[in-house]
Amino acid sequence: MSISKLRRWGLILASLGILGILVLQALVFFWVPTEATQGIIQMIFYVHVPAAIVGLYVAFGILALTSVLYLWLGDDKLDQAGVAAAEGGMVFTTVVLLTGPLWGKIAWGTYWTWDPRLTLTLLLWFIYLGYFLVRASTQNPERGKRFAAVVGIVGALDIPLIHMSVLWFRSLHPGPVVMKPGSPTLAPQMLTTFMVGMFSFILLFLGLFALRFALEIASRTAATRARAAQT
Amino acid sequence: MHRALRFFSRLTLLVLLSAALALPAAAQALPGTDLGAETLRPYHFVFLAYALAWILVFGWVVSVARRLARLEKHLED
Repeated sequence: MSISKLRRWGLILASLGILGILVLQALVFFWVPTEATQGIIQMIFYVHVPAAIVGLYVAFGILALTSVLYLWLGDDKLDQAGVAAAEGGMVFTTVVLLTGPLWGKIAWGTYWTWDPRLTLTLLLWFIYLGYFLVRASTQNPERGKRFAAVVGIVGALDIPLIHMSVLWFRSLHPGPVVMKPGSPTLAPQMLTTFMVGMFSFILLFLGLFALRFALEIASRTAATRARAAQT
Repeated sequence: MHRALRFFSRLTLLVLLSAALALPAAAQALPGTDLGAETLRPYHFVFLAYALAWILVFGWVVSVARRLARLEKHLED
């Protein structure tokens, strides 16, 4: 796919995502009912969980897939897609790690606890960070890309652990209310608001992923041209 | 691309403004008393959580758009 096509699709998807976020904002503040036991603080759910779905499942899913394919096929485009997914994943995982403690302070009385899900999510954030550090730490860029792909694959092992941690271990973190067998245990208005948030975040991520992918292609094209001009 | 960047910047501003406009909801609690401060705390945390999320996400939007615009200009030159 060419840079211009990626840019066009990126802009379309990101714009739809931003419009969806505006709708989400309106639904959260003016439409969805306040949860009976937790009160207003539960409103953080509508940004915390969609960000987790995008940062953990969508972004890391793309990163793991492109990493496996890069090690297998050696196509540079796959590495570029991996970088784009990792950068977005890191942004959304940071959102999860910042909004969660604010919710936790009111709901649990503490900003942070070394609960399995919280700890594994923090570990995932460090894996994302490691993905970029490993790339930059080698003299040979090709080697850095291969090492980073390995980090991307190893990090994927953390995803099922994060998902299942609330079921396997004793945990303060509530269990799944949407992504679970059977139907979601949410009131219809809450489920609608959550779905708007989730699809908006996914659209925004995919749009920005396409734009970031285009940026990575353009940046490597510029670097190749600069090297060719020097020789 | 510059038009797209302006569009994204305006949308970002709109989202942040709409979050700020929702703050008066917090005024429903009792201000000026300890009970009021305690009641307002969850509202402040919700506002802070949304503000942080939008700043991070739209910061990334603006960062990607700016880097892409700069690089495309460089490639054109």
